[in-house]
Parts: sequence; C-alpha cells; structure tokens
Amino acid sequence: MFGLPALSLPALSFAAPWVLAALLTLPMLWWLLRAMPPSPKRQSFPAIRLLFGLNPREDVAARTPLWVVLMRMLLAALVILAAAHPVINSARPLAGDGPLLVAVDDGWAAARNWSARRAALEALMDRAERQSRPVILLPTAPPADGGPINAIGPLPAREARPLAQAMAPKPWSADRAAATEALGRLTLASSVSAFWLSDGVDAGPPGAASGFALALQRLGGGLEVMAEPPGGLARLVLPPVREGGDLVPTVRRPAAGPEETLYLRAVDDSGRVVGREAVTIPAGETQVAAHISLPAELRNRVVRLDIEDEAGAGSVALLDERWRRRPVGVVSGLPQQADAPLLSDVYYLERALAPYADLRRGEIRDLLSRELSVMILADVGQMAQPTIAELGRWVEGGGVLLRFAGPNLARLADAEQADDPLLPVRLRAGGRSLGGAMSWSEPLGLAPFPDYGPFAGLTAPADVRVERQVLAQPAIDLNERTWARLSDGTPLVTAMQRGEGWVILVHTTPNAMWSDLPLSGVFVDMLRRIVDLSQGLAGAQTQNALPPAELLDGFGRLQPARGAVTSLRPEALAETMPGPRNPPGWYGDASARRALNLAPHIGETAALTVPRGVGIRGYADAPRELDLKPWLIGAALILAIIDTIVALALRGLLPTVRRRAAAGAGAVLLALAILAAMPGTAQAQEAEVDMDFALRAALETRLAYVLTGNPEVDRISEAGLHGLTEVLYQRSSAELAEPMAVDVERDMLLFFPVIYWPVTEDQPPPSPEAQARINDYLRNGGMILFDSGPMGSGSDASAGAALQRLTEGLSIPPLQPLPDDHVLTRTFFLMDEMPGRWTGATIWVESGESGRNDNVTPVVIGGNDWAAAWARDERRQPLFATVPGGERQRELAYRFGVNLVIHALTGNYKEDQVHIPIILERLGQ
Amino acid sequence: MAEQHKEQARTLSRAEAQASTLPPLLVAAERVAATVAAGTHGRRRVGPGETFWQFRRYQPGDPVQSIDWRQSARSDPIFVRETEWALAQSVWLWRDRSPSMAWRSHPDLPEKGERADLLLLALGSLLVRGGERIGLLGGPERPSTGRTALTRIALALGDAPSSEDGLPKGTDLPRHAQLVLLGDFLSPLEDVDAALRGLAGRGVKGHLLQVLDPAEESLPFSGRVRFAGLEGEGHTLVRRVEDVRDAYAKRLAGHREGLRAIARTLGWSFTLHHTDQPPQAALLALHAVLSEV
Repeated sequence: MFGLPALSLPALSFAAPWVLAALLTLPMLWWLLRAMPPSPKRQSFPAIRLLFGLNPREDVAARTPLWVVLMRMLLAALVILAAAHPVINSARPLAGDGPLLVAVDDGWAAARNWSARRAALEALMDRAERQSRPVILLPTAPPADGGPINAIGPLPAREARPLAQAMAPKPWSADRAAATEALGRLTLASSVSAFWLSDGVDAGPPGAASGFALALQRLGGGLEVMAEPPGGLARLVLPPVREGGDLVPTVRRPAAGPEETLYLRAVDDSGRVVGREAVTIPAGETQVAAHISLPAELRNRVVRLDIEDEAGAGSVALLDERWRRRPVGVVSGLPQQADAPLLSDVYYLERALAPYADLRRGEIRDLLSRELSVMILADVGQMAQPTIAELGRWVEGGGVLLRFAGPNLARLADAEQADDPLLPVRLRAGGRSLGGAMSWSEPLGLAPFPDYGPFAGLTAPADVRVERQVLAQPAIDLNERTWARLSDGTPLVTAMQRGEGWVILVHTTPNAMWSDLPLSGVFVDMLRRIVDLSQGLAGAQTQNALPPAELLDGFGRLQPARGAVTSLRPEALAETMPGPRNPPGWYGDASARRALNLAPHIGETAALTVPRGVGIRGYADAPRELDLKPWLIGAALILAIIDTIVALALRGLLPTVRRRAAAGAGAVLLALAILAAMPGTAQAQEAEVDMDFALRAALETRLAYVLTGNPEVDRISEAGLHGLTEVLYQRSSAELAEPMAVDVERDMLLFFPVIYWPVTEDQPPPSPEAQARINDYLRNGGMILFDSGPMGSGSDASAGAALQRLTEGLSIPPLQPLPDDHVLTRTFFLMDEMPGRWTGATIWVESGESGRNDNVTPVVIGGNDWAAAWARDERRQPLFATVPGGERQRELAYRFGVNLVIHALTGNYKEDQVHIPIILERLGQ
Repeated sequence: MAEQHKEQARTLSRAEAQASTLPPLLVAAERVAATVAAGTHGRRRVGPGETFWQFRRYQPGDPVQSIDWRQSARSDPIFVRETEWALAQSVWLWRDRSPSMAWRSHPDLPEKGERADLLLLALGSLLVRGGERIGLLGGPERPSTGRTALTRIALALGDAPSSEDGLPKGTDLPRHAQLVLLGDFLSPLEDVDAALRGLAGRGVKGHLLQVLDPAEESLPFSGRVRFAGLEGEGHTLVRRVEDVRDAYAKRLAGHREGLRAIARTLGWSFTLHHTDQPPQAALLALHAVLSEV
C-alpha cells in the first residue's frame, strides 16, 4: 500500500457482491406488484341490488398506485443492497493469506493521540476479521507485570479484538530491542503481513528502532508503518528549576518540527488548576523553558505540572517537597521572652516567613539534624567551634545562612573576632549609631536596591529609618557583596557565596530595636527573596525505602499502586529509570513523599526513521471505513412500516387515520417513543395530581373534612360543611369556597383553617407519616374539630375509645372542658352552649394559654354531631332533625360553626373585648 | 327495554317539535263511510253529526224531523236545525323496518330508519292534533286518537322486530283508510307493485315517501370496492366505482320512475326525501298530499 494516491472519491465496495445478482429479480417483482391489484375496500351498501351486474368497461385502474409500487421496489432494492454489505472507504484487501502481525508501540510516547492508534487497530481488526486472517499482537513496551515482551497469538481476529481493545499505553519507554527479540522467538509457518502502529519516536539505544523495522520487514509479507508527523509527537515536561519566584519547567519534544503552542498547567493537591501558561516551541527547536509565575502561597501548593489536553506520563512533572515550602530554621540570640513578644528578636521574622515557609525553632545543631533550606541566626554572637564547622559544611552543601546583627554581634565585632567564617564581610569594631540625643546625625533611610542581587526590582520605602548598624570593613569586593545600602552608601545587607550555599548578613536587628525596617513590607519581600534563593533541602534526609504511593498510568493519571511495583531507595531516586518495577509517580508515605518523574530519564530522542522500502503513513491519513449495512437495513425497516400503513389505508382499514394519516401515525410513534423513554411518567402524573390538590386548596380558603372511609359519614360531612360555608357567607364576611375532602394519609393539610374530623368506629388510626403531618398542622396554627357525634348521641365509652385510638400519636395539648368565658363563645355570636344534632356533650378545648398561635385552640373535641346539624340538601332543607331542640338548636349549631371558623381565622382578637368594659372605664376616668 | 323506551320518547319529542311548525292537519275525507264511527271534529260544513252547526229556514223537502221546534217557536219562520258534518278518518302509518334502513353513509347523517321514525312520529303528531285517528300498520293496536295514540305508536315502533321484507303486508285494513308508507323501496319493482296492489285493492288511499341516504343517490365511493348488501343480497366487487357511477344513477332513476308509475296507477302519491335534507321538507310534502281533498 505504499505510495497510495490520495483518494478523491469515497470508494464503495461490497463484502458480499454476489448478492447483488438478486437485483436482477427486481423487474419481475415490478411486474408482480403491478399485476396484483390491491385488496378492495369493503363497503356495506343498501342499494346493492342496483349495483349487481354493473361492470366497468375495463380493469385498468384496479392496480396498486405507481408510487406504492416504486416504494416497494425501493424496499426490495434496499434489502438486497444491505445483504451485499456495502462498505465505504474499505481498505484494500490484505495481501497474502498468512497471519497479520500488528506491532503496537505502547510506551509513554503513544499516549498522545492514543484514540487514533486504537481506531487504526480497530480498523486492522476489522480487515483481518473480514478476511479471516489470524492476528499476532506485539506490544513493544514491557508489560506491567515486569515480564519480558511477548507476542500474543496467532489468534483469530475475533479473539484478538478484545485483547487489542484492552491495550493501553504504559508510563515507561518502549523497548524495541526486546521487541525484536520477541519477534525472533516467534515461529511462523508462512509469510506474515506486518503493521507497525508506532509512536513516531526513536528513543533508547541507537539502532533499536531501525532494527525492529528491519525485523518486521523480514517477515516477508510487507510492512506498513504508521507514525505521527513530527508536530504530533508526544512531548515531555521536565521538572522545573526555581528561578527567583518562578517555576521554570522545560518542555521538550522528541524531534524538531514546526512551531507548536501548548499550555502548561500547574495543578495543586486537590486537583485545582492554579496556574496556566502558554508555551511556544519555536520551529526547529526541540525544547523551551517556560516560566510559571505564581504567588508564593500558590506556588507552594503546586504538585503537578502537565500539558493541557495532552495525555501521557511524559508530559507530567510531579513536584514533591523539594519544590515546595522551604524549611527555615530560626535561632534566637536572646533568651525567649514570652511576656514581651514584640521585643523578641524573632517575632517579626516569624510573622514575615510563616505564610510561605516552614518555620522551625530550636538550637542550631537540632535544626541541622533535619532537612533545612534556610537558617536564620538572629543576633547570634559567639558560637562553639563544632557548631561553626557543622554550619559551614551545611552552607557549602547548599544551605542559606541568614544572620542578623544586634548587640551580640556588635560585641563580637568589638572583640576583634570579626573574622567569623560565617560572616560575608569583616565587621568593624564599634557599630554606628545615627540620631539620638547625643548625635547630630539623623537616622538614615534606604538607598534604592541595586540592580544585581536578589533584591533587584524591589522598591525601597521612603519611611524606613535605620538608627544603628554594624559596619563592614572596607574591602575591594565589598561593593559586589552588598545587596542593600543605606542612603549614605553604607551596606545594610551583605552576602557571600560559600560552596553551594550563601552566607548573608543583615547589618541591623530583626526587631525594631535598631531600625524600623522589620516593620515595613519590604522586609517581608526581602526575606522571601532570600528564602527563594535556597536550592532545596539540605541536611539530613530520610534513609528509609520509599513505598509506592500513587503512580502515573500511561495517560498521566494518578492511580493507586499495584502490579509488580517495588519500593525505591531515596538515594536511588535520581538514577532510577522508570519501568514496570518503578513506574513514575509518588513514592513514600505521608511524612516524606518523593516524586519519580519520567521525563528526566528519557535520553536523546529523534523522529522515527524506517528502512528504505517501507511506507510510513500518518494515522490521520487512513480513511475511515463506513459500514452502510445498518443504515440500509434501518431505511428498509422504515419503508416497511410506511408500506404497512399505506396498505392498511388503501384497504380502508384506517378510517380515523385516513385524513391525517401521516400526522396521526407520527404522533402515535412519537407518543410510543416518549412513553418508552420515560418510565417515570406515572410518577410525574402523581406529582401533578398533588399539585392540583394543592392549587385547589391554596388558591381559595376552604373548610375541609377528613375522609373516614364510611361513605354515609363522608356525605354528611360534606353536606354539613357545605351548609356551614353558606351560612358563613350569608352572615359573616368569611366567604369560603366549597369544602374539600382530605385524606390524612395522602394530602397536605396546611391549606385549611379548620378541618372537621368525624370519629367513627371503623376508622383506622393514621400512619406515622400522617401523624407527623397532622402534628405539623396543629403546631403551625391549624385547627381540627373532632366530632364523635356520628357514633351516636352523647359521648359514651366507645366513642371515647375510638377517639383515643385515632388521636394516639398526635400532639394534643392538655385539654379542659370549654370554660364559660372561652373566646369560642364570643368570636361572632354570644353563645353559652354549643349544640349540634345532639346536645349536651362536653366540649374540650386546649386548657390554659399556650401563647402559641394567638391562643387558638388547635383541637376542639366534642360529640354533638355538628355536621349533621349543618347538613342541607340542594334546596337548603336540613337533612337531619336536631334532637331535642328543633330549629332553635339548629340555629345554635350554625352559630357554633360560625364562631369556630371565625376563631380559627381571626385568632384571639375577640378576647380583648373581654376587657372592653375595663378599658372604657379607664378612658372615662 | 327501558333504554329503548327512553330512546323512543326522545324521538317522539323531537318529532313533535318538528310537527309543531306546521298547522294542524286536516285530512280531507273523500268519502263518508257509515261504518266509520263518528269523528271527533267537524268538517266545517253541514252534514250528519252531533254538534250544532246552524239554523236555516225550512225549505220544502226537508224532513219534518229536522225542524227545531223550540227555535221555530221564537219567531215566525220555521227553522231547521243542522249539525256539523262530523267525520273521523283513520290514517295508517307504516315504516320500513328492514336492515337496509339502519344505514348511513356518514357519521354526521342520521340513519334512514331514524329519519323515517322521526317523520312518522311528526306526521302522527300533526294528525293527532288535528283530531285524526292514527294507527301503525301491522301494529298491535287499533287506530285511536289523542296523545296516547302517538305514545303508543312510538312504543310500538321501538318494540317492533325488524323484518326482512322491506314492504308492507296487507293486513286487515279498513276500507277507505289513508295509508302513509315510509321506506327506501329498494326492493324489486315487481315486489313493490304486488305489495301495493294488495293494499290498494282494499280501497286504501296511500302515500309513498322514499327515504334515501345521499350516498345511495350519488355513489360517492372511489376505487376498488367490495359492496355488501345489508339484507343478505350477497356482495359484488366493483373494480372502479367511478366507472359505474353513471350507470348506477341511471338505474336508480329508472327504479324511482317505476315506483312513481306504480303510485300513479294506484292513484297514490310518491315523494322523495334524503336524509341530508331537513325533515320539515318531507313533512310539508306529506302535509300537502294528506290535505288534498
């Protein structure tokens, strides 16, 4: 398939072309369809006698309409075509008939654009399956179990396909030399067509890639190599170095190519992107350094740098403690002054460093026993000789020693021992005091910071005044060792490099004793720059082996460690080549976590070259195969459905659909589809019903009655509340809507001011949910009128028992018999008895004043069967006689109902009227 | 059964509503038969009857018995008391109950049978209001008058079994009765002729009202249709209805002409009604032919 010309037209081919011969039968079908008349419509007709013997002159029109015939022909043609299995862009059939060897580069470099590789692999599997060719799969990266590279197969394509689908890139390099050996171990009977889905990167020992290609070529069945173009190769992100406050990672690509722009992301521990930087690799270059500037707090949280939208272990750089918060040791020259923190010489240091450095307090030797980046000696004077030696070694190993002057150091200078090796300059005896009572001089400000040194770019504040300092002996190199000066030119900060590390001296105190520099913001910046100077952790390190914690997979995602992964010794971290035994990722435990990155271990790389005579092709070049069979069968099915409908319509069997056949059928299909797609429809309807109930109940104020399950009682309740609503409408301004029935088990109660609850014997007690709902209702100002009247006159024992059963679990407040002066007796009418159909039953209301809900009693319990007294028929005639009092008693029953509803609606304001005589009396006075 | 009665009652009330738009119908009696019981209404002319009509001067030749002596005593001339000519005409109604009447071509149209019932009852209502005696041909009751007669007919209509034959049978009709026949009369002309002749032979004066569905007139179907009869006539396949439409219309016209001819020879009337026309039209036509003297 070398030198394949670009296809200008999609190529259509058939997998089973002989089926197309069936198309020849179409004309016969045409004749058959035309010759067979459609089934007649059936029509009853009374005047049929007149039709007998009426025969038309010819039978031409008794034929299927032309368009139906055409549609059926099309249907048949579609089925035949589908059986022939057409494929667009079908690849050329494979040459030969031996097995197919598919070598797949599944190292780190294959992760980018893996989907294209997988598609190519799928396409190869399709082709192999169509031609029934066995398949040998050969991954070129060592497997994750640490074993050697082995070819899989030969297998039938059907069985090889799941294996191919399960392949994934590995977070280490491909080993093509080992793959070549694996190839050599294969014993093959016939010639083998080879395909190499390569990652396009030639890495590792020179000649390995071309050797592998040669070995593939020697298999005899031809070799086809697929590779990425130079611009599409996987890229590497090397762990950053620190330059000042920036993280400076290097982005490398295996081979020079056209200009590429990518985005580097800085990700913190919880996966948030805290920084994003565009990086452009110029054309022809292979690497470029990126600068990621972040505030120190964010920078310290960065644990991972990667390339946006690019998968792969190589494009991920994990950042461990070495890139993060610097441990800073602070040693004070003064005894701890707990009672006067502002005078402490380390107070300002700690405040300035705490946000971005890991502060440690203690003695010098203790501090040095652990990892330490920066050591700050605040006015430490004389030190023991071993300490000095140890500090010196530490500094030379990369530590940054920052010293502050003070009385102790001044004394040291006076003692002519200013030759301290841990001072960047020699100190003159006797410090300098500026200003003060005995001096003509003024305290001096800061000169602008010089262009060199770490403070370059900082702005010297104008209000900083330095009163005392220690002075440096003039020396030739004093100038270049000076990082900051006072306005008269005397050094304020001097520094000297010693070995890998630095020795820095600030010529004044770290507290406000000698200057107000520590009070200014620039002090924080200066300290921060100095801490940034430190290269990383120096000092003692843990010697324990680091167990694998979280490891990168081939796509650069962190996964829990598994497989044949071993622990890593810390000192071997730098030399360990990531592989199956030590994939890149996090090693160590919570106390010390170290990152093993892949990118630094990738040696020289180049673009893949193949031996002469082998075609190399990009993944994107392969035309996508499009199997037309499912589409054709689908179209045929749709036509068949249409044909059925048409046939029914022609026979007159779709009388209702006839006019809007298309619309109707479409609607039915759509409805079916929707029904099938929405199993939750019934639920939605239920919610709707609830909504309907709520709307009806809430939009107008209504009375409600509880359904007892006894239709007779329910009917009386409804008629009674109906009558009461009418009476309310006539006599008061409470214009309520029609009463509603509520089912305490199902409905929400909160809409109703008063609920009438007739108590019957056979009523089941409410369920716990219903009880909760009722309690809620009562607590929030609802009122329930329990009426044991339907069970008979008076309140006998059985009524009491039924009531008790119903109200068990309800939060009924303490009750009392209705007192004579209860507000219920005067909310609208003045009453002294509350009869219903019966009279004489005791009425119970809440006792005392709860203070809740305007003292409206949440329950009224009685047995006078009020609803029966209130009940009227359509002609407003009472349904039941009142016993024994006649119409006067009914009138009183209505008045009770009015009082009750007004009480529920208006609360206790009528209670105030109890006091009206007293108020009037007072006003009169 | 109760349902059916309710249905009949509804038809009856509709029929009466239709009839109320026409003046009370007076049937012109052609003959006065002595055998016929006295009618309930006069003929607005002098004749034998019980109701006083007028006094007139005695003229020679008048029977002496007819002189009203009391009236003559009041004045000089001698008066003869004349009574109104009273007459009762019995009208027999009949409607085709064959299955072919239970048919309609479109859901918006009434069935032919429904329309025939309606017309029959409307006519009955008119006659009853005019005081005539009405009866259902083939029904169980003798002709009677008054609203009860109408109700009885309505009930009998509902109860009557559907008969296979679409033609009236000559039962014991009194002579000189009037007969109103409603139906589609699609039976072969010979049968119709024989049936009507049997009736006419008893001296009955009859009126035919052919009730047809518009589809029976125009044959509006198209394409290939298998027609099936409703009375077991079998079925026929018409390959293209459009092609036979003209021939059918011609046949129908011929059939109707035949019916007309039969009616004419018997001295009967023939009217046509389509179910898509308002029933008043047919009622007016019947009214007109029944009012003819």
